[in-house]
Amino acid sequence: MGEFLSFLQNNLADFWTYTGFYNATYQHFIMIAVGIFFIYLAVAKEFEPMLLIPIGFGMLVGNIPFNMEAGLQVGIYEQGSVLNILYQGVTSGWYPPLIFLGIGAMTDFSALISNPKLMLIGAAAQFGIFGAYMIALELGFDPMQAASIGIIGGADGPTAIFLSSKLAPNLMGAIAVSAYSYMALVPVIQPPIMRLLTTKKERLIRMKAPRAVSHTEKVMFPIVGLLLTCFLVPSGLPLLGMLFFGNLLKESGVTRRLAETARGPLIDTITILLGLTVGASTQASEFLTVDSILIFVLGALSFVIATASGVLFVKIFNLILRKDNKINPLIGNAGVSAVPDSARISQIIGLEYDPTNYLLMHAMGPNVAGVIGSAVAAGVLLGFLV
Amino acid sequence: MNRHIAGIFFLSVLLAAFSSCTAPGSGSKIVINEVLVDNQENFEDDYGVHSGWVEIFNTSYNSVNLAGCYLKVSSQPGDTISYFIPKGDVLTAISPRQHALFWADGAPRRGTFHTNFVLSKTSDNWVGLYDSGRKLLDQVVVPAGVLKTDQSYARVSDGSDEWEVKDDSETKYVTPSTNNQTLEGNPKMDKFEQHDSVGIGMTITAMCVVFTGLILLYICFKMVGKVSIKLRKRNAMKAHNITDKQEAKERGLGEAPGEVIAAISIALHEAQGADHDVEETILTISRVKRSYSPWSSKIYSLREIPHKK
Repeated sequence: MGEFLSFLQNNLADFWTYTGFYNATYQHFIMIAVGIFFIYLAVAKEFEPMLLIPIGFGMLVGNIPFNMEAGLQVGIYEQGSVLNILYQGVTSGWYPPLIFLGIGAMTDFSALISNPKLMLIGAAAQFGIFGAYMIALELGFDPMQAASIGIIGGADGPTAIFLSSKLAPNLMGAIAVSAYSYMALVPVIQPPIMRLLTTKKERLIRMKAPRAVSHTEKVMFPIVGLLLTCFLVPSGLPLLGMLFFGNLLKESGVTRRLAETARGPLIDTITILLGLTVGASTQASEFLTVDSILIFVLGALSFVIATASGVLFVKIFNLILRKDNKINPLIGNAGVSAVPDSARISQIIGLEYDPTNYLLMHAMGPNVAGVIGSAVAAGVLLGFLV
Repeated sequence: MNRHIAGIFFLSVLLAAFSSCTAPGSGSKIVINEVLVDNQENFEDDYGVHSGWVEIFNTSYNSVNLAGCYLKVSSQPGDTISYFIPKGDVLTAISPRQHALFWADGAPRRGTFHTNFVLSKTSDNWVGLYDSGRKLLDQVVVPAGVLKTDQSYARVSDGSDEWEVKDDSETKYVTPSTNNQTLEGNPKMDKFEQHDSVGIGMTITAMCVVFTGLILLYICFKMVGKVSIKLRKRNAMKAHNITDKQEAKERGLGEAPGEVIAAISIALHEAQGADHDVEETILTISRVKRSYSPWSSKIYSLREIPHKK
């Protein structure tokens, strides 16, 4: 009887070593708190809920403490575990292009086609990427890591994940979380910068209504766009190819079912898997480092630089434009590719100063140009550094 | 008729595509990369024996399986020895840009990578690699007298066209089963760290590329837009039977403002019955009685108790 009781006692003691309570460290609780905070932001404040709910919950999943040596195959970094298999889509970089396929299938490029000069704002805002790249180099990151951190300024989660999975896989978790967090915080980050860099007169500029765009032009855009951008930067092919393909599905008018699948069930499925696994990849032992904190600081800086460079570019551009053709600098912030949040910010701030000046459609031009611009920038960085 | 023409065009495109990709095909994927004839103190095999060897390199970015291929060697005219690379060994699959090493020890029973031939130390050695269809993939002649003991005859770098003698000096060393030129570091990264430690060069170059890409798109769609506007005007003039451009301009043909288009679209949408423009403006609040659902029923979620007779 005594032996049996001791056997039970040993069993329970063994079991205790497998539990999360036994293996927990204070870092796990920090990460769990961050995950809960993300869920709170998504539910209570409605900040990017589609992203923050999966990422926040993923953080909880990834930070359940367990005994790594038990070989339970449950952790995201344990080869063969379910989470690890799902995480392959992130590490081998095939989730982001599929997300881009969906984005292409849901994006209307009409605003850009009707006023193509807005594309240049999308290019100018990419300076945020390279501004952060230079600062990251100064802080001691190597060029590959600096490029991965800089891409946060592109305000494009899939692009950030794609590039960091190729250039700096060890920083990918921090970069992805940082990119998505700041995308959710666009309504907080951008308005002060927009107000600071514009005068009241500039904020009241009314832009010409965009012209109607023909079906032929809409069909031509993804084809010409793909050929021009990918001949220039072939390394951007996975992202740009899928983006323009998705858009062709939408605009061709004859593949409605495919377009609906791409912008509906497909992108939803990939968003769930991407969000959950990126969240789960923030395992405390891998995530809570000085580098992660620096990445968060640099990410914020890159967003600020990107917004400022978009707004300032419009102001400079206005110097050479005809009086009746001026651009409202409040749409400069939309050059960062947080679609459609940054365009929405242009609209909200514009309405604050003139309740009849609707900037949304104009801002969508640089906004979608920003998507193309950040994918091209990622391609350039990939081409230069790999 | 049009369908026939389209069909013929499509077929010819397919034929052209297939004929252009099958010809060079597998031939250029795997090459002989390095050969060592007289091995005294160089790389030894699993049995601890020093033998000559032939290294094969997969130049492609995809795995290639050598199973079923032939490795042939000839030292004298007419005495070609052929080694069939056995099937069924997973190790014959060479990963992208990787190598496989075959021992020229004349002992094929020792394993897949031990061949049935030995390289001649006194005369020229011709080594050929054939695919399973006996098509020559690559060949090399290792000249007699050029190689000393433990020296190899190898491509300067993996898969390159130039060959040289690797004499185990500082820069030319024998590299069995590994890159003919070892990359010590990342040259691209080193270049950036050396010449552009601040990142200005990268910033200028990359921003130029981003701007170039989007400027090209801008120019293209500026022109497309102009053509599109012209076409719309011409079609509108045709529809209104107007030939005078001035008159068309005065009447504003082909220049429907966005608001007009939006109004027409909404009208069409409503006309198709998808929406209604007059709300009933009656708000009804009534208590909804929760209806019975088998999903919440205990009867359906529990097993039925056996009936007692």
